[in-house]
Amino acid sequence: MGNNSTRGSRLIMAATQGFKRHGSHSYVITLDSAESGVLINLCEQLIELLSERVDHGHEDPLAAMVGITSHDSPPEDEVLHRLLPDAYADQVAASEFRRYTESTLRQKKEAHAMSIRMALKSSPEGDVELDHDGANAWLGALNDMRLALGVRLKIDNSSYEHLELLTPDDPLRGVYAVYTWLGWLQESLLEALMSEVD
Amino acid sequence: MAIKTESAIEAEIKAIFSDNSPWVTLVWDDPVNLQSYVTYVFMELFGYSKAKATELMLQVHNEGKAIVSTGSREEMEHDVARLHEYGLWATIQRGDLA
Repeated sequence: MGNNSTRGSRLIMAATQGFKRHGSHSYVITLDSAESGVLINLCEQLIELLSERVDHGHEDPLAAMVGITSHDSPPEDEVLHRLLPDAYADQVAASEFRRYTESTLRQKKEAHAMSIRMALKSSPEGDVELDHDGANAWLGALNDMRLALGVRLKIDNSSYEHLELLTPDDPLRGVYAVYTWLGWLQESLLEALMSEVD
Repeated sequence: MAIKTESAIEAEIKAIFSDNSPWVTLVWDDPVNLQSYVTYVFMELFGYSKAKATELMLQVHNEGKAIVSTGSREEMEHDVARLHEYGLWATIQRGDLA
């Protein structure tokens, strides 16, 4: 499982305090414009990537309406495959399940990303206040972003050391910094959610 | 003796054709998902206590996988769909094969 290095997050952003619990059911954060910009950008990329699986050529409109797609093979793209994984080791069962469920899963992930994007777009000052459902949507989308970047960074259980030693001019260093910052942000929201009310 | 054996075979056959044979949802270790996140998702989706969710998370972390729920195939498909929604790496299989 992932451990979170805080060193990377210090590279780019240290201004923000992270999420804090506000009252019993509310979680607040103030992001600066650079941080909001990074998150909005990642949301848009995630939504665009997921839209590659939209089934444009479906011949049966009724099937499309109830969420059945003609996709029965996993995405070739490694990131999409991680976001929309197989539910069975058996390929026949996995394909059947995918046909009936993938578009719903994709829409839920899009909705999570959309909720971060909407919250930030509607708050130019970067003030965000989330209820419990909103917090879950943020957690899901932050996690999808980390999964996507994790695939690109080829994160495995032994790769952190290597990533910590990337030289400043390596383009992956910036990606890794964003990755660790997302983990820190996610962790702060989890702490706020799990903390007992005073 | 012969009767007993026969009924045992019948029970076997019944189990094969029955939809009630248990299925399980497995969660697999993943190098990206944070431990606190995995614990939270188990609590949130299954209503597990923090202690039970933490125990399952540690089992995933240390042993590479853990059974997080058991039930009918339909129930497990529901659980896996929700785990996938939150980015956990989960699969369904027959309980006797897990």
